[in-house]
Amino acid sequence: MLKLRNISKTYGRAQVKAVDNVNLDIRPGEIFGFLGPNGAGKTTTIKMIVGLLKPDEGVITIDGVNVWEEPLKAKSMISYVPDNPEIYDRLKGIEYLNFIADMYGVSKDDRRKKLDYYLELFNIKDAVGDIIASYSHGMKQKLVLTSALLNDPKLFILDEPMVGLDPKSAFNLKEIMRKMCDEGRIVFFSTHVLEVAERLCDRIAIINKGKIIAMGTMEELRSHAEERESLEKIFLELTE
Amino acid sequence: MMRKIWSLIKTDFNTTFGLSSIGYSIKNKKNRWQLILFGIAMLTLIPSYVFMVGSLSSMYDIYAQIGQKSMFLLSGFLSAQILVFIFGLLYVMSKYYFSNDLAQLVPLPIKPSYIIGSKFATLMISEYLTSLPIILPFIIIYGSKNGEGPLYWIYSLFLILFLPVAPLVLASIVVMFFMKYTNIGARKDLIRTISAVFFIILMIYVQMKIQTLAQKSIVQGSDFLVSLIKDSNLLVKRLGVSFPPAQWAALTLANNLSISGATNLIIFIGVAIISFLLMIFLSEYLFFDGLIGNIEVSATKGRGKKIDTSELSRETKPYLALAKKELIMLFKTPIYLINAIGGVIMFPIILVMTNSMGGDESLSAIIEVMGVESGYITLGCIGFVTALGMINCVGCTTFSREGKCFWIQRTLPIRVEDQIIGRVLSSLGVQGLGIIALLVSSIFIVKLDIVSIVLIIILGLLGSIPMTQIGMIIDILRPMLDWDNPQKAMKQNLNVLISLGAGTLYLGGLVLLVINIIDKFYISFIYGLLALIFILSALVLFKVLKILISKQFQLLE
Ligand SMILES: Nc1ncnc2c1ncn2[C@@H]1O[C@H](COP(=O)(O)OP(=O)(O)OP(=O)(O)O)[C@@H](O)[C@H]1O
Ligand SMILES: [Mg+2]
Repeated sequence: MLKLRNISKTYGRAQVKAVDNVNLDIRPGEIFGFLGPNGAGKTTTIKMIVGLLKPDEGVITIDGVNVWEEPLKAKSMISYVPDNPEIYDRLKGIEYLNFIADMYGVSKDDRRKKLDYYLELFNIKDAVGDIIASYSHGMKQKLVLTSALLNDPKLFILDEPMVGLDPKSAFNLKEIMRKMCDEGRIVFFSTHVLEVAERLCDRIAIINKGKIIAMGTMEELRSHAEERESLEKIFLELTE
Repeated sequence: MMRKIWSLIKTDFNTTFGLSSIGYSIKNKKNRWQLILFGIAMLTLIPSYVFMVGSLSSMYDIYAQIGQKSMFLLSGFLSAQILVFIFGLLYVMSKYYFSNDLAQLVPLPIKPSYIIGSKFATLMISEYLTSLPIILPFIIIYGSKNGEGPLYWIYSLFLILFLPVAPLVLASIVVMFFMKYTNIGARKDLIRTISAVFFIILMIYVQMKIQTLAQKSIVQGSDFLVSLIKDSNLLVKRLGVSFPPAQWAALTLANNLSISGATNLIIFIGVAIISFLLMIFLSEYLFFDGLIGNIEVSATKGRGKKIDTSELSRETKPYLALAKKELIMLFKTPIYLINAIGGVIMFPIILVMTNSMGGDESLSAIIEVMGVESGYITLGCIGFVTALGMINCVGCTTFSREGKCFWIQRTLPIRVEDQIIGRVLSSLGVQGLGIIALLVSSIFIVKLDIVSIVLIIILGLLGSIPMTQIGMIIDILRPMLDWDNPQKAMKQNLNVLISLGAGTLYLGGLVLLVINIIDKFYISFIYGLLALIFILSALVLFKVLKILISKQFQLLE
């Protein structure tokens, strides 16, 4: 269970809140989509959940663990994939993966099983012997995805994960997300691709100017809006 | 055209010194307590600086006694310009060839000379930060003790303004040739680093050789004393040959009232300008050749050996894994390699070189008088290794070096203890190389017995721990994360300077203590005491670091 209670954040001396009194309750086994126009506050919210930005107000808990009071315990339950991952580009792919696995304390057998599976799936097995600086944008992203899947996270949180992935990898990622929620984990991701959100998500929240303006299943969202055919229309109408 | 150049310079300034973001962070209230702590840390620099200026003042008196006051000025200009040159080599290499903005600049329709010109202008500012603290005390001490008139100060202004030009031009040309002719093969990073280290050692060797030769030639002349009295600029004229611009500068100020002062000033400025133009001209032919292919890294793309995941996926303790990652990054990033590892290897070699070539004050003479048994040598080596623990810059840049990858550290469940231990271990790894370099090169001046070697290794490593921790404390208070060029995390990082100050204070205190008690106790007691002090301070600093890191990992944005 991921809970956000009255979360607000203002950057520096900015006049307006980047995130304004956000409340979210996400249940295990749910794929949750986070939508909103550019600058709406998606990345800011995500950074507060993963421990990169301290909220000015409010409480965030995962399974009752306060993210900001017991960071170590919370972080071992989370895997995070940022929107534009900068990683140690002088390391070899395999060195990076091992480093991350060591930090999560993943056992040797587990590690090998997962590496074999995901590296094959994302088709980067041949590249992990090279240094990361030689990777393409998408390869780097797939490496980060793999590293985030090495531990068994209770919360898998991704910021615009589909950007830069080729169709096959995007498809694989969606399958993985489905599988994870079948195992009772929470998948939380932000996206601009409305079709993905529409087809994949159990529930969707739309954020605009830091405030959640709509939340619920596709059905519930439809009932909010006047034009009811597609998420695109609903999105455009609500964020008007 | 002028507008193009101006716009390039402006953009480069802004990105290099983060002007836009400084304004932003000053406004941010939350950062204020760190700024205050940081300010206090900065104050620790003052005693070291005051001490330095104090000893300069007595140096002036010595030269004044032998009627060679101008020699004092030469020392100032020479050290400032040599330092500008050495830093220049590193700055130029990273700024011209390894900064991220190149990917944007190269495709633009601008000539290489424009890019080099604008980058040169920004480097000048960085170099003033190096040259001013050195040259100002020299100029002020000489000027005030000698009661110089307004012309002296006006000339000084021009000299200070143009001081970095010639050495920086020299550094630029050397690096551009160097990069052009080492732009070969897959292992070029390694080739370049190794040859750079050798080059710097060679250069210092040549400098010192010239100096000793010049010294010898002066003293050998039978009429030395006579000419010393006749010509008050004799030493400057003889010793300035190793870098003529420094000589012109010293002569300008020493003769500011006569025509020779003015001519020397004109030569100094003229040569600076002409050499700058020459460099710009050369850059058209050299720059792109060294640059293209720089971004390539060798990748096998699976054509190499197959990676067996079972073989490579060992479990490692978090702190060891962290130390390993730090060391790989240090070794594989050329700038870090030169600064950290090159540093700890170069310093011992230079130390030994200075002494084996020797003047009267050479260490070997002192060693012979005192004998090895006295423990002075061992203590000296321990002190030297401990000092390297700060000079290697591993501790004081450990968080800054994370840069844009810092999010990884902050989102992973890493215990603060593991953070500290892992990072200290990486510094000790580098120190290990320094100790080897020291022990190997010391073979040429002294015979160390096995006990001394063991003591140097153990106490040296122990002493390196608090040194690294002091650096880490300063770095975590204000990590410099927003860089586009690894050099900024390393040498253009104010944290390094402040840590050097704080480390000098710590080590200086210990040296004073040891000097005061060395006659009163058995030497083994002193070793024990040092070990105790190192361990205790490491423990205290560990506690402090734990609090600071937990706090900063939450607060940073
Ligand atoms: N580091 C920062 N400093 C100051 N303001 C920031 C910072 N990062 C984001 N903001 C501001 O916070 C607001 C929310 O930004 P955020 O990055 O969360 O948007 P987003 O929803 O992720 O947008 P996008 O779809 O473009 O990724 C914006 O108004 C932005 O200008
Ligand atoms: Mg975003």
